[in-house]
Amino acid sequence: MENEIHQVIPINPVPYSRSRQAGEAQTVLDHIVDDFQENPVAMQYFYDLFRQVYCHGDEIPHSGKLVGTTCIQAPEELIYAFGATPVRLCNGSYHYDQRGADFMPAKSCSLVKATLGMLSSENVIPKIGKPDLVVNPSTCDQKKKSSVMIEGMGYSVYDLEFPNVKESEASRVYWRRSVREFANQLRKLTGKRLTRANLKAAMAMTGRAQAAFRTLHNFRRQTPSLILGKDAFLVTNAYFFDDIERWTTAVEKLNAELAERQAAGFRAVQSKAPRVVFTGSPPIFPNLKLPLLIEEAGGVVVADETCSANRMLYDMTAVDEWLLSDMVDSLADKYLKPCTCPIFTRNDDRKRRLLDLVAQFKADGVIYQAFSGCQVYEMEYRSVAEEFNKAGIPMLYIETDYSPDDQGQLSTRIEAFLESLKNRKKRHA
Amino acid sequence: MTAAKPAMQRLRDAVNEVDFNRFRFWFQITAFILFVYGGYLAIDLGSKLPFFSCGYNREGRAGVCYLLPLQHQLGRNWAVLFSMASLTILTGFLTFAAWFIVLNKGWCGFVCPLGTLQDWISALRRRLGIRYANYTQGQFAQLTKIKFVLLALLILIPLGIGGGLFSHDMSPPFCLICPARMVLPLFTGDLSQFTIDFSSKTAVVMTALGISVTALFFVGSFVKKRFFCFFCPMSALHYLISKPALLKLKKDGSKCTRCGDCYAVCDMEIKEIADDVKTTNIMTDDCTMCLKCVASCPETGALKATFVGIPIFVSTETGFIKRMNKGCQHGK
Ligand code: SF4
Ligand code: SF4
Ligand code: SF4
Ligand code: SF4
Ligand code: SF4
Repeated sequence: MENEIHQVIPINPVPYSRSRQAGEAQTVLDHIVDDFQENPVAMQYFYDLFRQVYCHGDEIPHSGKLVGTTCIQAPEELIYAFGATPVRLCNGSYHYDQRGADFMPAKSCSLVKATLGMLSSENVIPKIGKPDLVVNPSTCDQKKKSSVMIEGMGYSVYDLEFPNVKESEASRVYWRRSVREFANQLRKLTGKRLTRANLKAAMAMTGRAQAAFRTLHNFRRQTPSLILGKDAFLVTNAYFFDDIERWTTAVEKLNAELAERQAAGFRAVQSKAPRVVFTGSPPIFPNLKLPLLIEEAGGVVVADETCSANRMLYDMTAVDEWLLSDMVDSLADKYLKPCTCPIFTRNDDRKRRLLDLVAQFKADGVIYQAFSGCQVYEMEYRSVAEEFNKAGIPMLYIETDYSPDDQGQLSTRIEAFLESLKNRKKRHA
Repeated sequence: MTAAKPAMQRLRDAVNEVDFNRFRFWFQITAFILFVYGGYLAIDLGSKLPFFSCGYNREGRAGVCYLLPLQHQLGRNWAVLFSMASLTILTGFLTFAAWFIVLNKGWCGFVCPLGTLQDWISALRRRLGIRYANYTQGQFAQLTKIKFVLLALLILIPLGIGGGLFSHDMSPPFCLICPARMVLPLFTGDLSQFTIDFSSKTAVVMTALGISVTALFFVGSFVKKRFFCFFCPMSALHYLISKPALLKLKKDGSKCTRCGDCYAVCDMEIKEIADDVKTTNIMTDDCTMCLKCVASCPETGALKATFVGIPIFVSTETGFIKRMNKGCQHGK
């Protein structure tokens, strides 16, 4: 039947760069690049990267087996150690979100839908190739339920068992075992052995990337800001798929430029621009809707607590004895213990982290994004709001998804919020 | 953010970014030599030292572990014990406390020869590429009490001996089973402690027990970091009087991410160091104040050692990155 239809209406594939999807990326990228002044010169690397990958559909080469991850909990050091390349599959495209609607109930998280939509397409963008293994940590329900669907699309999927309670000793033991099992899987996949030397080399590589990220993060403490949040998000988004060494070098260049900016007393925003900490569901290119709305409206995102940026790169691993077993256990702990993901039973760490970010980055307020359908972030809203209320920190809670339809309404709310932050600042001054 | 930092700040940065493990290694060696061989240079720091500078290392010791005179004093005949002579117990204790207060449990992490020796045995194991052992949480909770039991016995048994309840062959009870009595004299070529005393049944039992404990000490320290310290009654005594100590281990919970890096390097498997974000005085009964946790905390200001309230060694992000890079690239 299908064949007949195809015969009747022959499909003339448009080149990717003229597709609706490329258009979506193009619009956002143009906005990021052209609608703001004095972008750091070193950002050009990232602008070009996104243009090539998302707007032109260029291929991204990689070495070894390709391991797709659907979450930051999959220890990438292990993947690198086995000579494979990790790629984060979490997707931010509205086009894929709509495609993914076939798999999930209507009111589901855009991120999960977009990831499914992407994986189910023939022509996956970013064009990294088909993952040899998809690692799906058992985090939120929607991700858990995606496993079988992804498998149904013809991928081989590994469920990385992740505990829901992170404080208990049982969870530490359980998770360490999970991570070891994951290493076993990677051994089977790659046919290579995990050794002290290759794990150490992998950790040195991610360590350098993390140090670069932390330097960038620290530059954002400066008031008035040296760099806008939309650029910072683009940088961390690139980490999803870019070659890690190249990425790190590019970030180090950016840091060098920020150091110069600092020395020259440069200001990327007006001195009274309200400083915002961003938390909640992760902004992933091209869905940088909220950060862009905030900065268009004259605010600046100075720090974030999301799994597409800070949570992915901030926490570093300490090892006591550089033996394989100690390294693997320390890595496991670093993925579980400091994580502020909302899928855990308690969120004390998330609250403390947010309060600390607000204090350290001299933020005036917080904007909390929850993707409609992301129950865990929606449910945590209450407790986080209470905490900020107690501390006298204003917070704006926004429920949204990947669709651009609510932009007008959101920008009104954001403007009003930023205005109130400004007034508050004036009163306090 | 100015280019030229004040000298004080530069000094602080240099300290906070020091290659900590190396610093501690050399500090411990120096202390070990001082206390195990100092006697040959006629150094004598008295007999109230708050760590295991064993009195049985007759020639080399530069001072004596307080537990030895303490047990002797408590083991006096009751008539003597409850007379004015008991004043010497008090002055002895005060001298001990005065020593202790300076470094707190830092004596354990940096000075105690028996502690240092365990670190060397661990280093040997590490060089052989063998993983250390851990206790489960349940084992930890049980075993951590033992040092207090030993401390109680170390006080009660001598009292019993003085009262004629136990044989004098049991005196000084803890020393007879203390591994330091056999191990430290070895370093000055004195093997005389490795004997079983056949003069009485009690003596046989006690000396045989001593040899077994020493054997256990070597095996235990090989598989477990600071194996003996976990059971050490000196450590229990320290903890009981640690309130007024000058050196302190402090934590600022608001800066802690509970990443567990400090726990990962802690030889004593102390979970509170990472998990507890409320207590500011974070030294627990098992802690040896080795300060490894401070050196491996990536959050600036989350952990620190203070001396009379002045921060002397503070966790910093830059310090962490420097040290971990070292480990990552050419660590042992
Ligand atoms: S945003 Fe929420 S629902 Fe979506 S993947 Fe993350 S935790 Fe799950
Ligand atoms: S045997 Fe042990 S307790 Fe006795 S003096 Fe020597 S070190 Fe101290
Ligand atoms: S706890 Fe360890 S370091 Fe401290 S006195 Fe006892 S044996 Fe020495
Ligand atoms: S290493 Fe520092 S931040 Fe991490 S748990 Fe320990 S004290 Fe907290
Ligand atoms: S808590 Fe810190 S100072 Fe105490 S033993 Fe553990 S690592 Fe050493």
